[in-house]
Amino acid sequence: MAAIDPLHQFAIEKVVDLPPVSVPGLGLVDLSITNSVVAMAIAAVAICVFFAIAAKGQVVPGRTQAVGEALYGLVDGLTSSMIGHEGKKYFPFVFTLFIFIMTMNLFGLLNLFGVAHMFTPTSQVAVTAALALMTIGLVIVVGFVKNGLGFFKLFVPSGVPVAILPFLVLIEVISFLVRPLTLTLRLFGNMLGGHVVLAIFGSFVAALGAYALSTGGAAYAALIPSILSFGSVVALTALEFIVGFLQAFVFAALACVYLNDVVNLGHGH
Amino acid sequence: MADQPLPNPDGAAPQGANATTEAAGQGGSGGLPQFDPTWWPGQIVWLLIIFAVLYAVLWKVLLPKVGGAIDAREGRISGDIADARRLKQEAESQAATAAAEMAGARAKAQKLGSDAKAKSAAQAAERQKVEEAKLNERLALAEADIRAARDQAMTNVRGIAVETAKAIVEKLTGTAASSVDLEAAMSARGA
Repeated sequence: MAAIDPLHQFAIEKVVDLPPVSVPGLGLVDLSITNSVVAMAIAAVAICVFFAIAAKGQVVPGRTQAVGEALYGLVDGLTSSMIGHEGKKYFPFVFTLFIFIMTMNLFGLLNLFGVAHMFTPTSQVAVTAALALMTIGLVIVVGFVKNGLGFFKLFVPSGVPVAILPFLVLIEVISFLVRPLTLTLRLFGNMLGGHVVLAIFGSFVAALGAYALSTGGAAYAALIPSILSFGSVVALTALEFIVGFLQAFVFAALACVYLNDVVNLGHGH
Repeated sequence: MADQPLPNPDGAAPQGANATTEAAGQGGSGGLPQFDPTWWPGQIVWLLIIFAVLYAVLWKVLLPKVGGAIDAREGRISGDIADARRLKQEAESQAATAAAEMAGARAKAQKLGSDAKAKSAAQAAERQKVEEAKLNERLALAEADIRAARDQAMTNVRGIAVETAKAIVEKLTGTAASSVDLEAAMSARGA
């Protein structure tokens, strides 16, 4: 039964054991390199290698360069259209966010059977929460640096009758506080759900097929749902590639929206 | 289920399997391994480190190259278009200059032609006038000659008439008429 545990794929395993580090307030913290950290590092290295190849700077781009420039243009369009002319400053951050999440999402779908089963760091709530808090932290820092205490105007919608203003301020504050949570859970939930469903259908393929072949006779009928499950796995894998790209894009787009709120505070409200 | 060591598809070290068991055990039966806080700090710290390094490399090294290539291409394309537009304008202005020169040359040629025509016409008229004057002169001379010859002839006629009258008178009367009478008679006859 353990063979079809769909949650096993999310289990953290130590790869390199490092001595725990003592952090004030938290006590001993285990900073050992785990499969999750290895997957993050592989993604980061792959991004660097890819863009080192893509940054050849030829006037007529090759395939790699064309893809790299398309990704650059995608995020550049996002930041400049959402944040405006100041978007250039935040472009590297949003781009790193986008490409890192996308690469982790997509690499998590790679599975060299019997050789390597790629881990998906973005299916870890700690990772998505860290990314979300980092984004919101940047939004808050930028908000205070650019606007000072005027940052709090973010919670005060203009042109609203005084009578309902406190109520609206409360809603704005809650919606701001919920942002990191929604950022965290959207990415986490998508990755978790997709991988669980893939694992379940995959286990159907294996379990039903093995049952049919080992039992024989009437049990061969079990091959039908096995084959149907296999078709579902193929289709879902394609869907998961789209989801992996889309969730990275959504994360980057929302980061732009939140940054725009504080960068252009008072202009567009 | 969760208390048993899970089979490890990665073939990781036994300590990994133990960690898995431990994680799954703390997560509870059927619980998500993600909600086991044991691995949160390590993942977050490493994520921040990797993200910071990736951000620095992309920001300072790789993205400027990619963006530079895009900008260079756009600059080159717009530069080429500007060049082409400038060359086109140059060609157009050159064509206009050439057309103007052509028109000027044509006007000049026409002027030259008409000038030459006028000059030759004037020369011809001049020569004609000279010739006419010459002819008129010769005509006048000839007329004068003719008149002189006629006058001469007329005086000769008078002399002949006087001679004849003298002879006739002498024959008829036998006496020679004086020339004074003859002259008076001739003048009275209106000769």
